[in-house]
Amino acid sequence: MRLLIVEDDKDLNRQLVTALEEAGYVVDSAFDGEEGHFLGDTEPYDAVVLDLGLPTLDGLSVLEKWRRDGKTMPVLILTARDRWSDKVAGIDAGADDYVAKPFHMEEVLARVRALVRRAAGHASNELTCGNVRLDLRAGRVTVDGSPIKLTSHEYRLLSYLLHHQGKVISRTELTEHLYDQDFDRDSNTVEVFVGRLRKKIGADMIETIRGLGYRLGEAGDD
Amino acid sequence: MTTESAEGAGKPAPEPVKPQRSLAGRLVLVAAVWSTLALAIAGVFLVSLYQRASERSFDAQLEIHIKALVSEMLETSDETVLRATPLVQQPTYLGDPRFSLPLSGWYWTVRQADTGTVLYASESLVGDPLAVPALGDAEAGAGFVAGPTGDEIRVMQQRIAVGETPYVIAVGAATAGFWADIREFARLAALTLLIVGLGLVLATFLQVRVGLRPLVRLRSSLSAVRQGETERIDEALPREIAPLAVELNSLIGSNKEIVERARTHVGNLAHGLKTPLSVISNEARASEGPLAEKVIEQTEVMSTQIQHHLERARMAAQRRVIGVSCEVQPVLDRLVRAMNKIYRERDVRLDGLEDAKLRFRGEGQDLEEMSGNLIDNACKWATSAVLVTATPVADASSARGMVEIRVEDDGPGLSEEQCAEAVKRGRRLDETVPGTGLGLSIVADLAALYGGRLELGRSSMGGLRARLVLPLLGDS
Repeated sequence: MRLLIVEDDKDLNRQLVTALEEAGYVVDSAFDGEEGHFLGDTEPYDAVVLDLGLPTLDGLSVLEKWRRDGKTMPVLILTARDRWSDKVAGIDAGADDYVAKPFHMEEVLARVRALVRRAAGHASNELTCGNVRLDLRAGRVTVDGSPIKLTSHEYRLLSYLLHHQGKVISRTELTEHLYDQDFDRDSNTVEVFVGRLRKKIGADMIETIRGLGYRLGEAGDD
Repeated sequence: MTTESAEGAGKPAPEPVKPQRSLAGRLVLVAAVWSTLALAIAGVFLVSLYQRASERSFDAQLEIHIKALVSEMLETSDETVLRATPLVQQPTYLGDPRFSLPLSGWYWTVRQADTGTVLYASESLVGDPLAVPALGDAEAGAGFVAGPTGDEIRVMQQRIAVGETPYVIAVGAATAGFWADIREFARLAALTLLIVGLGLVLATFLQVRVGLRPLVRLRSSLSAVRQGETERIDEALPREIAPLAVELNSLIGSNKEIVERARTHVGNLAHGLKTPLSVISNEARASEGPLAEKVIEQTEVMSTQIQHHLERARMAAQRRVIGVSCEVQPVLDRLVRAMNKIYRERDVRLDGLEDAKLRFRGEGQDLEEMSGNLIDNACKWATSAVLVTATPVADASSARGMVEIRVEDDGPGLSEEQCAEAVKRGRRLDETVPGTGLGLSIVADLAALYGGRLELGRSSMGGLRARLVLPLLGDS
């Protein structure tokens, strides 16, 4: 799962990046409105954490521009202006949730988790496919009830496939959502991680669709 | 934590200024006093003029009779004959029957000037003497004497000499009719002037009413602004008071601007403080040890204090704004829409506003703040549903119409003691749900500021029921 943090305070930005990376997300960060807008416009993020008070272009305008351009990724707004009029203005501009400053990092993590899960159409914090179960809150994976150990890359891969189970996911899409913007897109590391994951959760769980990509679980409606 | 800010609290209300007499009252009173005085003087003057003219005409009449007497007394008017043979004779008919009618009030006498012996007298005297004052050395005189019946008589006397013999001719007439005439004139004059006076006062009253109508319009326009029905005073007024309306409008404008600026400053301050506070508290949470714990504890205190004082500052700024109101439904609609997006697992519904265009007498942002906090709180605790209703209610404690915004949920609800605790500042009943713990107490404070209230109780849905009662705009 790949996230974008747009926050002009360097310390807060770093803290958010660290906390979200520790929670298993791939995180890009921007420090002003224009940079944030550009990244959100060009990269496929699974969720965005957007501060409203930003230099060069304010958060609300960034959000409105994204929505006008048809960007649908869930957006969590961070705001120090915590009157309901400010919050509702943010929601009306297209945000999906808000967190008022000062906040506890756990709250941001919980909200981001819920946004990503909801965007993929899941109601629960536990994603399952066959005998594989992922507890999003604890970041724990079990197969047949026994916990297994995954590296952070393997965890991200499984989490993304579980969020979008039943759908065919191309190699490019996986690369885009599992690595940050500086990653070399042409490398074949995705195949390597899919191979390792198959060994840990069972070879038949992830199906390779020739020429299209990978699919976890039974084929969905689309 | 226990220090209570005292802004606005405990300041005694200024003594109400006793209103002075109304402008219309003053103008009418001055006009009435002046008209009465002027008309009274005019009346006195008129009556005295009339009296003097009547007196002159009365005297002239008496003088004519004297002349008639003289000519009747003398056989000839030839001065040389008279000087040679000074003969006078009894005057007969003077051309006025009143001198023959007994005690008619019209009398004459002819006396010898030196002895005062009455030579001739009118038949009307029927033998009674007419007591006239002595003429002395004067040629003529006039005066008042008592007549034979005791009534007042105006007497004119003239000395004439026939040959060497001087005579005094006196003609008198009762003044009763004369004074009756004067009184009648005075009565009619007073009546006329009274009617004129009343007409003047009425005209003044109408003039004042018409003249002061723009002031009445200005007052109702100002009161409409105060009530929040309109934002500006109508400036289409006469030249004299139009500048006043313009000044008032600019005052209202600058008042709004000051509040807006204060709000912006508060927002900037909030932004400026809260971001570093987030950084410090997150840094501390990521560390261990007593220092980290202390920092966490103190940043919590700082957060609550900042939040509390920012709210107080906003409220203080708010109170100065005049002439604001907002429609209730759009505010609740926006909030419910936002809440449904934030809390997708809950069903937040708005009910009971379809046909009522209710207007809250206050800032839209405050209504949003109060309702938002209540709905947000309900959504946090609800199992699945939150119901928001808004209905106009008659309030016993206030003559004004009120609106009741009711927010109910199907969560666990609160006990009576917990309800009382919840509205106290910074009290969080459950630390597991994020928040500063100021939500409900801010709602209660804000509602009280607007003359409304917040009541917590149990909902028929099973959870908490929050009733927010707020003043409505007069005609909504």
